[in-house]
Amino acid sequence: MTSRAFHLAKVFLRMFLRDRQAMFLSLLFPVIFMSVLVFMNRDGDPIEINVANQSRSEIAAEFVKALDENPLFEVIKGEEEALKKKLTEGDATLVLVIPKQFDDAANATELGVFVDAAEVRLLGLIMPTLEKALLAIERKLRHTEPMFSLRVEDVQSRSQGPLDFLLPGILAFTLMQISIAGSGFNIVEYRRKGILKRLFVTPIKPSEFIAAICMARLVWCLLQLTALLGFAVFLLDVNIRGSFASLYLLIVLGTIIFLCIGFAVGSLAKTQQAVGAIGSLVIFPQVFLAGVFIPIELLPEIIQPVSQLLPLTPVVNSMREITNNGASLVEIMPTLFGVGVWIVISFAVATRLFVWKEVVN
Amino acid sequence: MPIIEATNLVKKYPKPDNNSEFFAAVDGISLSIEAGEIFGILGPNGAGKTTTLEMLEGMNDIDEGEAYIDGIDVRKYPHEVKKIIGVQLQANEYFDHLSLIELLDLFGGLYSSRNLDPDALLGLVDLTDKAKAKPANLSGGQRQRFSIACALVHEPKVLFLDEPTTGLDPQAKRNLWDLAKNLNNKGTTIVLTTHNMEEAEALCQRIAILDHGKIVAQGEPQELILRYAKEPPTAPLHGSIEDVFLALTGHGLRD
Repeated sequence: MTSRAFHLAKVFLRMFLRDRQAMFLSLLFPVIFMSVLVFMNRDGDPIEINVANQSRSEIAAEFVKALDENPLFEVIKGEEEALKKKLTEGDATLVLVIPKQFDDAANATELGVFVDAAEVRLLGLIMPTLEKALLAIERKLRHTEPMFSLRVEDVQSRSQGPLDFLLPGILAFTLMQISIAGSGFNIVEYRRKGILKRLFVTPIKPSEFIAAICMARLVWCLLQLTALLGFAVFLLDVNIRGSFASLYLLIVLGTIIFLCIGFAVGSLAKTQQAVGAIGSLVIFPQVFLAGVFIPIELLPEIIQPVSQLLPLTPVVNSMREITNNGASLVEIMPTLFGVGVWIVISFAVATRLFVWKEVVN
Repeated sequence: MPIIEATNLVKKYPKPDNNSEFFAAVDGISLSIEAGEIFGILGPNGAGKTTTLEMLEGMNDIDEGEAYIDGIDVRKYPHEVKKIIGVQLQANEYFDHLSLIELLDLFGGLYSSRNLDPDALLGLVDLTDKAKAKPANLSGGQRQRFSIACALVHEPKVLFLDEPTTGLDPQAKRNLWDLAKNLNNKGTTIVLTTHNMEEAEALCQRIAILDHGKIVAQGEPQELILRYAKEPPTAPLHGSIEDVFLALTGHGLRD
C-alpha cells in the first residue's frame, strides 16, 4: 500500500464524514425498524374489563380479584346498565355481568358477557383468559387439582426476544446496503462528473484508487454499524452473547465483500438510476433469502439451497452464531469459510469489471 | 530540443452507426513542440484535438505511432509521463464537500509533491479570497483558473489546457491569457487546444490546424496568415465589437 492510497483514503473519509445527511439517512431505516420491533413486542397496556358484580358471595369477590390480579386485565367495576351504555357508545370492549346466584352452590351458573363484536382480535385474547380464570375458581370450589400442566424450558437457558434474532440480520443488511451504495454510487458519480478522469491524469494507479475508497468506506461503515450496535445494546437492551471482537471481524469481512460487489455494480451501471436498480437486484433477494429477517429453515425447501449460495448468508449466519449463541470463531469455521470464499469471488469480479480504460473514458 | 515529439499518431474508434467498421479520429499526426513554447492545436469540433491531447497525456491508448515527452516513451511509461505533466480537462467538476485548499492538498498528495504551497498557488490564479469556498460556488472563469492551479501542484514541465477559454466572458478570457503567458514566462511549456482563432493568434507562438484527424497547416500564426490568408484585409479603422464591449464594461474581472 502506498502513501498515495493512504493520502486519498484520508481525503475520501473526510468527504464521507462531511456528508452528514447520508450518514443519517442510512441509519434511519434500521433504527426505526428496530424501535418498531421493540415497541410491538413490549407487554401491552392491560385490557379494560368492565365488571358488574351483582353477587354478594365471597366467591364472586374472589373471582373479580383473580381477574384484577391478572396483568393482562384492568378491572373496572360498575352497574350493569351504566357499563352496557358505555359498551354501546364504543367506550368499552367487554362487560362481564356476574349474576346474583354466583356462589358456592354446586349448580351451573351463567355469566353474561356483553361485547362489541367488532373487536374480534381483542376478544380472542380476552376469552381464553376469562375461561381460565373461571376454571381455576371452579377447581378451587370443587377441590380438584389440574391434571396437566406445561412446563416450557429453553434448552439454551437464555432469554431471547425477536430482536435478539433480528439484530445480526439488521446489522448484516445495513452493512450490505451502505457498502454497495457506498462504492457503487461513488464510482458512477465520479465517472459522470469527470472526476475519475481528473484523478487519473495524475500518477495514481487504479489499484491505489480502489484501495483508498475501500479503506475510507470501511472506516465509515464501521462507525455507522458501531452507532447502530450501540443503539441496540444500550437503548434497546439487545443481548450480544459472543465477543465483540469476533462480531467486528465479521463486520469488516462482510463490508469488504459488499464494497467489492458495489464496485462491480458501479462498473456495470452507466447512471445513478442504473446503480440503484442493479443494486436493488443484488440487495432485495438477499433480504428474503439470506436469513436476514426470516430464518432460512422457514423458507420452502426448494429455495433453501439457493439461500446457501448468496453472499449475505454466511455473513448473517456467522454473526447470528456469535451474537445469539456466543460462538467462537473456531466454532463458526464452516460459515467463516463461506465468507472467505465470497471475499475472493467478489474481489475477482470487481477488478474484472472495473475495466480501467472504459471506466475512465 | 523539442520537449514533445510525436510521430504519426493514429487513434481509431468504431463508427457510431456501424460498430464493425472503424474511423480514424486521429489520422497520422506528427508534432514537435519546443520547450518553453505555447503551442496551439486548432480545429473545428470533432477534428481530433482532445483525442490528440489525451494520447500525449497517456490517458488514451496510442493505436499507431509514437510519442515522447521529455524523452519518456508515453506508450511504455504513461505513469512516468503523468508525473511531469499538468492537465486541465474540459470537465472541471470536483468532489463535493472539499474546499479549494483541500482539493489542492489532495492533488499535491497524489503527486507526492513536497514543496506545495496551496496559498501561493491560489494567489497565482487570483483566488486567494476563495480558499475556503467549494468549487461549486465558483464562476466559470474562477473554476477554469482553479482547474489550472490543480494542474500546477507539482510544478509540471508541460501544461496541457483543453479549450481553457470556452464559455468564458471576454474579461475572464483575457485574464486567463495573462495567466498562461505568466506561467510560460516562468518556463512552463504550454500545449492548448482551442477553436478560438483570436486566442491562437494572441497567445500561441506556434499553432497546428487540425481537420478530420490530420494536420492541415503548422507554423507561426503570422507566417500562416501570410501564406494562407492571401488577400490581406485592409487594416480596420476601428477595433472589433469585442473592443467595444471591453471599452464599455472594463477589463476588470467579473467573478
